[in-house]
Amino acid sequence: MKAKVSGFGIFYLSLFFVVLYLPVLSVVLYSFNASSSTAQWTGWTLDWYRQLFSDRVIAQAFRVSIQVAVLTALLSAVLGTFTAVISLWVTNRTKKAIQGMMILPLIVPEVALGVSLLFFFNALRLPFGILTLVLSHSLFCVPYVYIMVRLRLQEIDVSIIESALDLGASRRQMVRTIILPLVAPSIVTAALLCLAMSLDDVIISTYMSGPRSTTLPVHIFSMMRVGVTPKVNALCSLILMGTFLIIGFSQLITKKRRFS
Amino acid sequence: MKQPLLALVELNKYYGDVHVLKDVSFDINEGEFLTLLGPSGCGKTTLLRCIAGLERIQSGDILLAGTSIKELAPNKRNVNTVFQNYALFPHFNVYDNVAYGPRMKKSMGEAELKTKVAEVLELVQMSGYEQRMPHQLSGGQRQRIAIARALINEPAILLLDEPLGALDLKLRKHMQTELARLQRKTGTTFVYVTHDQEEALNMSDRIVVIDQGQVQQLGSPREIYNNPANLFVTSFIGDRNIFPVEVLQVGDDYSQVRLGEDVVAVRSSPSARGALSADDEAVLAILMDKMRISCEQMDNAFRGEVVSIHYAGSQIRIEVRVAGRILTVVEYQKLECECQVGDSVFVSWEESGAYLLPQEDGWEERGL
Amino acid sequence: MKTWKRNLLAVPILVWIGLLVGIPMVLVVALSFLSRDHLGNIVYQFTLDNYRRVLDPIYLRVFLNSLLLALLTGLITLLVGYPVAYITSNLPPRRRALALGLIMLPFWISSLLRTYGWMILLGNAGLINNVLLALKIIDKPLPMMYKFSTSLVGTAYMLMPFMIVAVFNSVDKLDRSLLEASYDLGASKWKTFFHITVPLTLPGIAGGFTLVFIPALGLYFVSDLLGGGNTVFLGNLIHTMATRGRNRPLAAAFSMGMIALVLMVLSLYMKASKDKTGEGLFQ
Repeated sequence: MKAKVSGFGIFYLSLFFVVLYLPVLSVVLYSFNASSSTAQWTGWTLDWYRQLFSDRVIAQAFRVSIQVAVLTALLSAVLGTFTAVISLWVTNRTKKAIQGMMILPLIVPEVALGVSLLFFFNALRLPFGILTLVLSHSLFCVPYVYIMVRLRLQEIDVSIIESALDLGASRRQMVRTIILPLVAPSIVTAALLCLAMSLDDVIISTYMSGPRSTTLPVHIFSMMRVGVTPKVNALCSLILMGTFLIIGFSQLITKKRRFS
Repeated sequence: MKQPLLALVELNKYYGDVHVLKDVSFDINEGEFLTLLGPSGCGKTTLLRCIAGLERIQSGDILLAGTSIKELAPNKRNVNTVFQNYALFPHFNVYDNVAYGPRMKKSMGEAELKTKVAEVLELVQMSGYEQRMPHQLSGGQRQRIAIARALINEPAILLLDEPLGALDLKLRKHMQTELARLQRKTGTTFVYVTHDQEEALNMSDRIVVIDQGQVQQLGSPREIYNNPANLFVTSFIGDRNIFPVEVLQVGDDYSQVRLGEDVVAVRSSPSARGALSADDEAVLAILMDKMRISCEQMDNAFRGEVVSIHYAGSQIRIEVRVAGRILTVVEYQKLECECQVGDSVFVSWEESGAYLLPQEDGWEERGL
Repeated sequence: MKTWKRNLLAVPILVWIGLLVGIPMVLVVALSFLSRDHLGNIVYQFTLDNYRRVLDPIYLRVFLNSLLLALLTGLITLLVGYPVAYITSNLPPRRRALALGLIMLPFWISSLLRTYGWMILLGNAGLINNVLLALKIIDKPLPMMYKFSTSLVGTAYMLMPFMIVAVFNSVDKLDRSLLEASYDLGASKWKTFFHITVPLTLPGIAGGFTLVFIPALGLYFVSDLLGGGNTVFLGNLIHTMATRGRNRPLAAAFSMGMIALVLMVLSLYMKASKDKTGEGLFQ
């Protein structure tokens, strides 16, 4: 039996959601404002979007971001899933070590992580660009894939795995025919989350970007520092739309094939 | 002598410091229905998993048709398991579940596989369910698919780990007959794990009673029921009144014992014969449904006072206090004497239902 | 398979993280003890100067600012987020799923966008001022941007979902019969809440606080955009030192200071929640 939610509770919750989404909605709203200032509303326009599409710098940054995000998502999905799956077999000691390692990138503040990677890649004389961006992004993405896949693995009955082995499957066959299909929805969701996180990262990307490989968030950040401009609004709104597409896609995948 | 199908030789298994299997040795013959029976945590499931290769043993050996299989991975052993919760692959339909083993071993082409799947589904009476997903099946149906999925591999031994545990009583009874039928029809050796004595007694050719990681007794259901080897088996199988008595005289066939003021003669168990002598404390075990209540004085009976009378369907359970102990008597017909709570009565028993055993330390504390 | 063979599988991942986190961290430690010349190049000479400067009152102030920001962020997200989590867990299934979706959605939305939204709301020509002016409640715009409190609002807003999810997970696991037992024994609603609910959800509170506190130390773009650099925080300082300031050894020393703060909070968390590996934070 659960406690009933009072009218005040509903009111509080609604108010909270209004405040939670008001900033997001106002960004979208003002992207359609004909005036270049938020001070007044002078009518609807799509001019700011038009301007965006003719902006070469933004287009370049966007390309970089997409490349980095897709590569990061793929790399992280593979590494994270691999790690989660092998955690089924390694000894407890090793499992603890893996868990500790996985948590490390999540608890070190991003600035410190970014700075340390900056020093590291500098020392290695690695050229800053797509490679450094993907490596650094995967650092905070792999743990998420690992955690999400592991949670799903824990839901799988151990006897299903055992019975596959018992029926004559080798370990490799079992992973391919049983584990991977069962965790696939989680892998996809996790990979999409990685995509979103990589597309959103400002802090680490600031240190990892090369001269011709600024990511979109880093570029947007520098635009925002100048102040509020409707062009930024339009850009942000487009990104929001892209995000919603990704979320919709991930919902579709998780809903589609779910068992027991 | 014929070589046993499977020989277990002094198996030992530890989980950390816990010694879960202690020098377990016995043979399993080809074509038999063998049951591992014991309370939960006794090691019977662990033993099954060791045979399947899902657990490693620390010492001892497992010989399948004379060849050691203890180092083989589960997929290399010619034994298959039916798991307690069926463990069907949730993302495969019935056909793909059943076809899984042959496909992984690449042992037959798809055409042959199709006939074979149809055959085993027929065998477990699940023809026509090929396209169903596991979550669309009832518990009993899943059970049948799990069995079919194992049988298609034509294992030398089929291991069943409490397969009926999750079913309701009626279905369980039905599946008991069904399993026995399957076993006879396929001629496959079944090794069956259960904690349910009734299941074991009904289905098995032989029963291995296990407690605390050790084999307590191995024999046919009849032997085990009628001649339990020790106190554990006595208390675990059959509903018995078990209580300490004082030994007055030990004979070859009969011994004289005393409970309170009553002196009776009872059959000596084989284990009691050598071990007991006069003035020892021993344990008397009497099957509840072999006991009778009467109102008149009789020989070879205990005098007691009726504590309660309970009608449970066709049974009448009467509790009688004898020398400070409560004995339960189960009668099926109308009571011989119309006794009531508080009445003084005499409790007797059929000779075959009583059994004298040596006392063992600490058995009462285990609460069996 | 033999044990060592099984563990061999873990080597790639351990090497990978070790390489990208372990070595860089060691590098930061090493760097924090090195000097630099006036051009900003690193000189391989051992010094404690960087740490001496960290303790300089001017820089110590930065530490305090950051600590205050992170603590207040934790407090605000807890006070606002706890009721949200609590109410959500009590909702009937469909509404509950909706509320949970709305709580999780911001994880996916660009954090720059969410910060930028506050610039639009709080600016002198922003939405709030516009509305207040139009309603004639004020006659000239209220200055709300570029303050410590602006950074605080932005940071708290950014990290709110972490707190709610952490608290929700433990509120949801709460055995409701305990609450009923408490009512049954005559405790009032509030008494039950503070004596039963809060102590039992302490792991969630501790987890949420930790999850919010750590990033709050380093979210420099929020304080940069909303605070306008009027209050200097650790994140901004490290960022500036490492990039434009060209004082990497000092940036390294400050990073060490920041990590020390994180470790302090983590150890407190582990004590409060009895979670020995810190794993519970991310489940």
